[in-house]
Amino acid sequence: MTAPEIVSTLALVEGLHLLQLVDDFRELVGSERDAADPAVQRLTPSPYPDDVDASRAFADGTRDDLLDRRLLDADTVRLSLKDFDIDPDAVTEDAALAPVDVVISESQIDAWLRTLTAIRLVIAQRLDISSDDQHDDDDPRFGIYDWLGYRLEVLIQAADELDG
Amino acid sequence: MNAPLATPDLDETILLEAAPLEPWEVVVWNDPVNLMSYVVRVFRTYFGYSVDRATTLMLAVHHDGHAIVATGPRETMEVHAQAMHDYGLWATVRKATP
Repeated sequence: MTAPEIVSTLALVEGLHLLQLVDDFRELVGSERDAADPAVQRLTPSPYPDDVDASRAFADGTRDDLLDRRLLDADTVRLSLKDFDIDPDAVTEDAALAPVDVVISESQIDAWLRTLTAIRLVIAQRLDISSDDQHDDDDPRFGIYDWLGYRLEVLIQAADELDG
Repeated sequence: MNAPLATPDLDETILLEAAPLEPWEVVVWNDPVNLMSYVVRVFRTYFGYSVDRATTLMLAVHHDGHAIVATGPRETMEVHAQAMHDYGLWATVRKATP
């Protein structure tokens, strides 16, 4: 009997983009993190929005740990994307569309779901997305946001099926 | 069965008021980013709710703007809220309204 896992097939070019996004995210939540960045704040919301003192106390006690956990999650995702850690300039047009299997073990699923979600939250913050139907077809960042949403949806379905 | 050797003479009153259990609650708020299937999965896997209950809560968040997803002692509710933040959901903690 094999250990439960999800096999997600990405085109090489998709994997290259995803790895880049994950690395950008690792920089955002890494040791040089900027607590004043609105995207970082979105990842660490206050449970007491109406109480300044309680908010500060909670943030002081928990924010760094929470961002450390985001970094750990992103490191886990990066590890399963190691096949895409190549020079993008060396990839020919034909090779770019070649399918590559990404294996996600059961224990890595939550890290994947949380990381893709967190990256979407960051992009949404940068794009100032504040309603469900807000979209600008001419802005390629919306394309990345939608693609990540699609990838996340596929992964959630596979994870739900794994649970039975 | 033997009779007890001694019958304790107890005159004890437990003062429930000495340890008030004031309930708090975790509220999850709607946001335009998180996928419905994801929110259901988080409620299901983290809280151990059934698919039906998790779906009802997700729909309440989506349509009403928010839903109370847990009630209990303040410290526990803070732990739950932080777990929701780990999953990227927007959760707050407040005193439960009687």
